Amino acid sequence: MQAWALPSESVSTGRRPGAGGWLLLAPMIGWLTIFVAAPMGFLLVYSFCGRDDLGRVVYSFTGENYARILDPIYLRILGRSAAYAALSTLLCLVIGFPAAWFIARSPERRKERLLVLLMIPFWTSFLIRTYAWIAILKSEGLLNGLLEWAHVITAPLDILYTPVAVVIGLVYAYLPFMMLPIYGSAEKLDPSLIEAAHDLGAGPTRVFLEVILPLTRPGIGAGVLLVFVPALGMFAITDLMGGARVPMIGNVIQNQFVKARNAPFGAALGVVFTLLFVVVYTWVLRRGARKSAGGGP
Amino acid sequence: MNRIFFGAARVFVSLALVAALSARGGARSITLFAWTEYVPQPVIDGFTKETGIRVRYETFSSGEEMLSKLLAGGTAYDVIQPPEYIAEALIRNGLLMPLDFGQLPHFSNILPEFRGMAFDPGQKYTVPYMAGISGIVVNTAKVRRPIRGFKDLFSPELRGRIVFVDDGREVVTAALRTLGFGPNDIRPETLARVRPLLASWFSLIKLFDSDSPKTALLNGDVDAGYVWCGEAALLWNQDHRFHFVLPEEGYHMAVDVVAIPKGAPDAAAAHAFIDYILRPEVSRQISDAFPYMNPNGAARRLLTADQLSNPASYPAYHAPAEIFRHIPGSGAWIDALVTDLKNGR
Repeated sequence: MQAWALPSESVSTGRRPGAGGWLLLAPMIGWLTIFVAAPMGFLLVYSFCGRDDLGRVVYSFTGENYARILDPIYLRILGRSAAYAALSTLLCLVIGFPAAWFIARSPERRKERLLVLLMIPFWTSFLIRTYAWIAILKSEGLLNGLLEWAHVITAPLDILYTPVAVVIGLVYAYLPFMMLPIYGSAEKLDPSLIEAAHDLGAGPTRVFLEVILPLTRPGIGAGVLLVFVPALGMFAITDLMGGARVPMIGNVIQNQFVKARNAPFGAALGVVFTLLFVVVYTWVLRRGARKSAGGGP
Repeated sequence: MNRIFFGAARVFVSLALVAALSARGGARSITLFAWTEYVPQPVIDGFTKETGIRVRYETFSSGEEMLSKLLAGGTAYDVIQPPEYIAEALIRNGLLMPLDFGQLPHFSNILPEFRGMAFDPGQKYTVPYMAGISGIVVNTAKVRRPIRGFKDLFSPELRGRIVFVDDGREVVTAALRTLGFGPNDIRPETLARVRPLLASWFSLIKLFDSDSPKTALLNGDVDAGYVWCGEAALLWNQDHRFHFVLPEEGYHMAVDVVAIPKGAPDAAAAHAFIDYILRPEVSRQISDAFPYMNPNGAARRLLTADQLSNPASYPAYHAPAEIFRHIPGSGAWIDALVTDLKNGR
């Protein structure tokens, strides 16, 4: 996954921004300070606080919120969430790559139409689309009706409110986020490189593995991040399509702020979750950077 | 329907309202903080039409959520609609404004059994909005044998065919009742006692849903469940095969109240709103839309025989039914227990 090294390359263009550059960056920096840095600061402070009878945060130092995270149950929930997110990401990649490639390689007019089709789902709220899936997957829903009508099955399939439904929901929700960056990479790929590989005697598998894959890697890397990270914290789909039966880390954190009225513990979970992500991301980045420095695969 | 969708819809509506208001140079308005799907739009429109006071309707989907957001203090609410045990917590912590009953002439419509209840014994801070006794709904077309209580509901034949409200206090109370404890016997020791029973129940439950538990029953994804009485009443109205049963192990009365938090920007307008919804014809509109048990005696007289004979809205119960009390610390204990159990431990 050395593709993840690419963002760092684009950042280190070598030139420091001048006054004009800072001016252009100012709105973004302001935004990040107010909506990312400051809330993270609050989270960090809360995570060391206690709470009173009603659940209000009490500003007294304690480490017990972090001690509680070591309870294996929360590690197991985190592991399960990562597994669901990884599976969804993999499925998005397997389903999305060929489609994105096909769109990128289509003639101009068809390409435009297909891209519009890819965008159309965004015209409707994501929650409404999730409800549509409930109508499709329920016992007496469209899918079971169709399969029974076609005599493929005799009893309705039990899909809704199972892990399968959660994965379907995640893949459906995030597929475009995988396809768009891959499309971007695939479209830029110079077809003459593929022809050259063929001319030099490479078969289709070799062309794919040694030409197409490395050249679309930035898109794949971006797609993987865009799918994996939000899928990891998702709680709406697990509630709606999973029946709120098996909690993911997103549900557990949400519950601390709402049901349990234990904001400090929720904050501690949030801090650990963020740190874990930073550690993994940095590790992957470094590993990728070392590999490309070593001359690539 | 679902909290997230309606939450989003309502945020949108509130934003639109805010925009409309600022365009008009700021008419008088109140912010109502209430359950999703609980205050009919015609009631709000009627109030605005009569008084010129606009209503921003913000929603929550559990009493705990309401309390969290109220304490977070992002918005100044004029009228809030907590369940009784949250109201009790608010009263004990001095967070509610004493009501001026002189401004609430229609309070006289409230039936005696809904006055001076344990959470507000002096009847100083709250006015009952709707009440109800949650119970078991059985799809009798699918489940032939009689279901009388939790022991019958949680049987292996119904594995994967059960819905339960996604509310830790309710599920814990059901287990406490089954083992012979009272609904307010929530202590670490009693929670430890009900844990094995709950673990066996959780393995049978198909889904937890507090926002619209009737949906899975209607869709045929489950055949029985424990749901809010208003949801059960709607199911009964839709199809008489959905029978409502008060669990033989025990049940409790839930009362949602309206109250004014301390620091409400417009207490006079808030009183006007509360008195408006106490009017018999307005309260009847609420019952028409959301068939819970109406504590308003004058409104009940306006209901149809069909409405009054709905077994879920007006079940035959032994009065007075117990109510939930505020138990400090219980929210976090119950959440930890439920999280453990949902993870199969």
